[in-house]
Amino acid sequence: MSSENKRRSFIKGIGLGSALLGSIQYGLNASEESKKKKPHYAMLFDQNKCVGCSDCEIACAKVNHVPKGQHRLYVEDQTNPNDLKFKKYMRVSCQQCVDSPCTEVCPTKACHKDSITNIVTMNTDDCIGCKYCIVACPYDVRFINEETNAAENCNFCLNTNFKEGKEPGCVAACKYDALVFGDLNDEESYINKILAVKDAARLKPGFGTKPSLRYIPKLKTGVYDE
Amino acid sequence: MNEIINYSSGFTEEIGWEWPISIYLLLAGISGGAIIVALLIRFYKNQVESTAVYKASALVSFFTILLGMVCLVGDLTRPLMFWKILINYNWTSVMSIGVAALLLYIPLAFVAVIYAFEKELREKLPFLCGIIDILNRFRAVLEGVLFLFAVIICAYTGFLISVLVRFPLLNTSILPALFVISGLSAGTAALCIVARRFFKEDAHSSDMAILHKVEWPIMAIEIMFLFMLYISLATGNAANETAQAGFHEGVWSNVFWLGIVGIGFILPLVLNFLFGKKIANTNVVFYVSALCSIIGVLCLRLFIIYAGQTFSI
Ligand code: SF4
Ligand code: SF4
Ligand code: SF4
Repeated sequence: MSSENKRRSFIKGIGLGSALLGSIQYGLNASEESKKKKPHYAMLFDQNKCVGCSDCEIACAKVNHVPKGQHRLYVEDQTNPNDLKFKKYMRVSCQQCVDSPCTEVCPTKACHKDSITNIVTMNTDDCIGCKYCIVACPYDVRFINEETNAAENCNFCLNTNFKEGKEPGCVAACKYDALVFGDLNDEESYINKILAVKDAARLKPGFGTKPSLRYIPKLKTGVYDE
Repeated sequence: MNEIINYSSGFTEEIGWEWPISIYLLLAGISGGAIIVALLIRFYKNQVESTAVYKASALVSFFTILLGMVCLVGDLTRPLMFWKILINYNWTSVMSIGVAALLLYIPLAFVAVIYAFEKELREKLPFLCGIIDILNRFRAVLEGVLFLFAVIICAYTGFLISVLVRFPLLNTSILPALFVISGLSAGTAALCIVARRFFKEDAHSSDMAILHKVEWPIMAIEIMFLFMLYISLATGNAANETAQAGFHEGVWSNVFWLGIVGIGFILPLVLNFLFGKKIANTNVVFYVSALCSIIGVLCLRLFIIYAGQTFSI
């Protein structure tokens, strides 16, 4: 709770700022006016653009102080070993589910949705390390941080970059624009504009968790000369 | 599953929940099962005195659940923070509901120990007489509540893992029922051993006869539930069929066939029915078949935890 209050006053203190902070402000107003919707932050990974450079992985670890050898996100190489010419990569990270099993099962509410942004995040102090959230997550993207011994997940850099009004570390680091971050409830957001014209998929929709991560799959192998 | 896009690796390289959880699930099952059976006998026969079976069940229930708590807390990555679970509750979490139930169940199991050793306590610690008198006034109510919570403890351990959607072997509605019935089976066995060994209960007393009689129907229901689990996976979708491989492939399939089926079911049946009454009535067979039941249920918990998490979707 206390960290949330700190953030709230911090945000109020800064006042207006970048587009991101603007939308947080929007979120705050929403809770006051209760008519407008809360923000719904989402991320888009475009498999056609990702080159597997793993800059996003490195940036994430640095921004969020993820211990060496551990990851909040990584990029899986899905290139067919028999056809190395056509590379294919896949982002593995928390899917930021709207109906999130991890927050549902956490007995201490350490794993919870941030009251302002709705982002699935952690209150490390309250985590007892029961690993219930880890086995409950259908996407297997939670882990125990070796330094804090508490569970952790990708939270769109909520208490690092986001707090400072910057884009998530991975998005900022991607030189190929394979990652887009934004608010789905903001009609003007870039992510909405892309989603309006491109087909994007959610992983394992059968689990009914409504992930906020969208993937543009690589369906064609590209135009090339034989 | 055939998805357009997916990844093949996850963050938990092997298993999220390991053997301490299996041990806890076994101990919670024994604790609840033992007290359920003993109280049923007590209610059914309208007993007023503290029988050997009652004494054994109170001790078994109380100490197994305490030991279970040690396993549970020991498995936390932040064991010193365990008290947080006592002050924060999340009612959508089966674990929170379980903790709340345990907070009532453990003191009640302790009260059962006081009831069971009322006479001894009055003699050795006379200053407790006042408290015992007060407790005795509520005995019927407290035993009723204890019975209810014993069932809840057995069942919640099943619900705890049946909500894990990633694992088809676990994510079935039969699991809580299977856990209650196997808890009864292990609890009865533990009860038999302790009553006989420490309270000199005669193997042919009427209470023991009841225990011996209920053992077999409990085992039959357990086998039936396991069979139903197997069939529901075998006839299910592709994901279920993946999980069904748990019964045939890898180390844990051996635990299933040798441990659960061989030691848990077949060995006691053989010992008790194949060699005639004479052998069946010996001390050795008595203890061995009770131990077999407990080992079988331990193997069941290990199988569920390990094979369940190995075959994920
Ligand atoms: S992907 Fe897993 S950790 Fe992330 S919100 Fe969904 S259930 Fe929780
Ligand atoms: S490991 Fe921590 S965050 Fe996860 S469910 Fe347990 S207490 Fe909650
Ligand atoms: S930084 Fe961008 S291009 Fe590089 S691996 Fe990450 S998503 Fe792919």
